[in-house]
Amino acid sequence: MDFTWTAEDAAYRQRVRAFLERELPSNWPDIARHGPGSAEQTAFSLEFCPRLAEAGLLVPHWPRDWGGAERPAWEHLILGEEMWRAGEPRGAQYMNVNWIGPVLMRFGTEAQKQQYIPEMAQGKAIWCQGFSEPDAGSDLAALRTRAVRDGDHYVINGQKIWTSYAAHARHCFLLAQTGGAEGGRSGIAIFLVPMETPGIEVRAIPSLIGHGDIHEVFFTDVRVPASTRLGAEGEGWSIITYALANERVGIPRYEMGAAEVDRMVGLLKERGRFCDSVVRMRAAEAAAACEAARLLVYKVVDQRARGAAPGNEANLARYAVVTAEHLVTDFGMDFLPDTFSGGEHASFLSHHERAIVTGIAAGAAEIQLNLVARRELNLPKEP
Amino acid sequence: MRLEFNEDQTTFLTFLGLMLDSPDAGFRTVADWGRFDYGAALDARLAENGFFEAAAEKELGAVAAATMIHEIAQSPVTLECAASALLRPFLGNDLPRPVAVVVDDAPGAVRFLPVARTLVSINQAGVRIAQPEADAVEAVESLYAYPMGRIDMKAQDWVLATLDPVRARVLWQGAVAAELAGTLKGGLKSVLAHVRDRHQFGRPIGSFQAVQHRLAINGIEIEAARMQMLKAAQTQLPHDSCLALGYAQGLARRAIYDFHQFMGAMGLTLEHPLHRWTYRARLLRAEMGGPSEAYGRYATQRWGAA
Repeated sequence: MDFTWTAEDAAYRQRVRAFLERELPSNWPDIARHGPGSAEQTAFSLEFCPRLAEAGLLVPHWPRDWGGAERPAWEHLILGEEMWRAGEPRGAQYMNVNWIGPVLMRFGTEAQKQQYIPEMAQGKAIWCQGFSEPDAGSDLAALRTRAVRDGDHYVINGQKIWTSYAAHARHCFLLAQTGGAEGGRSGIAIFLVPMETPGIEVRAIPSLIGHGDIHEVFFTDVRVPASTRLGAEGEGWSIITYALANERVGIPRYEMGAAEVDRMVGLLKERGRFCDSVVRMRAAEAAAACEAARLLVYKVVDQRARGAAPGNEANLARYAVVTAEHLVTDFGMDFLPDTFSGGEHASFLSHHERAIVTGIAAGAAEIQLNLVARRELNLPKEP
Repeated sequence: MRLEFNEDQTTFLTFLGLMLDSPDAGFRTVADWGRFDYGAALDARLAENGFFEAAAEKELGAVAAATMIHEIAQSPVTLECAASALLRPFLGNDLPRPVAVVVDDAPGAVRFLPVARTLVSINQAGVRIAQPEADAVEAVESLYAYPMGRIDMKAQDWVLATLDPVRARVLWQGAVAAELAGTLKGGLKSVLAHVRDRHQFGRPIGSFQAVQHRLAINGIEIEAARMQMLKAAQTQLPHDSCLALGYAQGLARRAIYDFHQFMGAMGLTLEHPLHRWTYRARLLRAEMGGPSEAYGRYATQRWGAA
């Protein structure tokens, strides 16, 4: 057991950090303030991610055949930590890098791979995920959007909601029912739907987390070729389970929180308030929660690095990240309230806005607790 | 970064596990409803087999020692392991054990003093060692499931140790963090067994989401405390040990409350071992000034003075 980084890892971190220091513009915190799904940040990511790709820092963990360098899992983690420390300038494209690309590599047809993966590897693709529906949130298998086979096409009708990045996405990773009326997991299929297909309407939902971040997406007689289906009919749930295992693995949000605590402490020192023992204790408590989340995420990455089958670690890690995010925000709000209320500090506000999402997006915190209770603690299922 | 145990550590922990599965480590009530059961037989077997020397062995090291502390703390028997496993190897394995530790001349009763053959004092001035006479110790009846005692510190014949006091504090913080994380895990396992078996309203109480969520949060945080103490043991850096101790001490209050709530009246009895873990944890939570002191020290390590 060794919690230290190798010299190679440390050099890699320095390389990423130096790239970000060199390439991120001075107004990046203001761009980030618009929210990860905003027009401003999307435009920025489409200009920034190709530069990352050119430097070999977008998909280094991917196979060489798809533009990667087959770098180890720990390097992917370091890359993610540095991105989050800098405010996650990849925007929506983190999804491509973390799971949409790998899912296509594993389950896609050769044509689908050739069509979609290269532009992801070049940092030019924006996707959205069509998962949640008005009556299918945490209970995702209850989704009702239906795709009906019509010759060599499918006709899709239904509604998605809380869809991030939909206004700017060129494609949607869409879940729909193709089975019988009973629905459920066994009837779910996945479609890779071009967003310019007639019949798709996107409406932005005004939100707490930045303009353009969440949407409703309506599908009315949307006709797509059968070749847009990923995997077989009825195979969608197993693919999505694989996808979510990847999405939920190793997103180092704690690094952004830890960076904010450092910035908050810096400001408190400038103001002469860091001599207060309560302030010092609360700063350390927030840092400890970030460290707890970090080490639980590291367990997930370690499993991956060893090629072990995923266990329950990702569920533990995700909840720990939620706790950390809120402790960091509370610390800042309690001792630097003016920087929040007066809108003075862009990165504090960006972190504050994102913190509220952490426990909701990609599987609510309480769902993680259900899973931990049943799978890790072996408690009986609710009748 | 590599988070799995090496082959030697795995073997070491497998043998330790076998010992902890023996009746020597099991729960039994004590005459006159005493609050603790000192695991003398287990202690002797561990000593005979050299388990307390692991930290000084290259292939086992402090990670194996800290894990041993964590595993033993999950047992309902009370055993002096933390100081013997993580401090004594760096003071000299010829020191007689059990070992009791006083930090910063803290007043009050000292854990393990009535059974200790070595007393270690850690403060800014240095690390000192004494071997108190048995009649110098006043045993104290205590709620806290440890043998507790007082001693006149000034009356002891102290010998200055060569161990750097900063390193000694780091090791001891890590050892206490390991013991507390393990103690909480022992309590959690005991409560989990109860809520799986105990039925109310026609179903196991552990099937209620209100119970599941609180125990899941405890499970997550106790595992995070284990990871933090392992990191502290491996790096032996002051900021890691402060963080590990502060984190474990910080989560203990709510965990202890939840454990007793879900154990209900059974947890109030001395016929059930829950108190062995929760009362030890209460005392460990306050060790070395509690979470505010540990976090305050972390703040100084990480961000410097005001």
